[in-house]
Amino acid sequence: MFFKKQKKEIIYSPCDGKIIPLNEVPDQVFADKILGDGAAILPESGTIVSPVNGKVTQLFDTLHAYALTSDSGIELLIHIGLNTVELKGEGFKSFVKEGDTIKAGDKIADVNLEYIADRGYNLHTPIIITNLSMISSFDVMFGQKKQGDEIIICTIK
Amino acid sequence: MKEFSYVIKDNVGIHARPAGLLVKEAEKYKSNITLFTKGKNADAKKLFSVMSLSAKNGDEIKVSIFGADEDVAELGIRRFLEKNL
Repeated sequence: MFFKKQKKEIIYSPCDGKIIPLNEVPDQVFADKILGDGAAILPESGTIVSPVNGKVTQLFDTLHAYALTSDSGIELLIHIGLNTVELKGEGFKSFVKEGDTIKAGDKIADVNLEYIADRGYNLHTPIIITNLSMISSFDVMFGQKKQGDEIIICTIK
Repeated sequence: MKEFSYVIKDNVGIHARPAGLLVKEAEKYKSNITLFTKGKNADAKKLFSVMSLSAKNGDEIKVSIFGADEDVAELGIRRFLEKNL
């Protein structure tokens, strides 16, 4: 007798902080899930690590957003802070480049949270699955998390 | 098949937010919508594809639309670009 094995993909927390629902992000484009679905973290530590095993698909030259493709094909966008494209890279230091293979826990960026907050930007960091057609469901573990804790468990179609 | 070109006027170009909004607009239509710029092309209905164009201020984007509703899609996409980018 055969059972179809459900394939799961775990997304790990990229930093310490509080995981909140995406619809609590004070930015309509994220809250309305225009870019996809997932969760957001309020970062409390400035080192951002990869939440998945996969590849760096795109790195914005403003270093505030990272497009990662996991080994199972989930396309994940990590957008550090809101409207932070306007900082043009100030406050961000990146440790990866496009095409890099990454493991969950590999450092991808250092973010000067204080500097960004002082400049008046919101630190909400959406973690978004942009190709939802890949998955049948996902569960989010809300609340206070440490870097590397499981935060989203996806069931792959 | 409909084709038109648009030069990006937005200061930061197609970053995550406008890419998401553009995909949302493109998804309204049945037609295949492809964007071309700087030797790259993207499916306008796929976020990562659109973002990977790294289209910046001053870049010219060629939009190619093919399908049953290409007339209305051309109008919609053109209006979107003029309003948002």
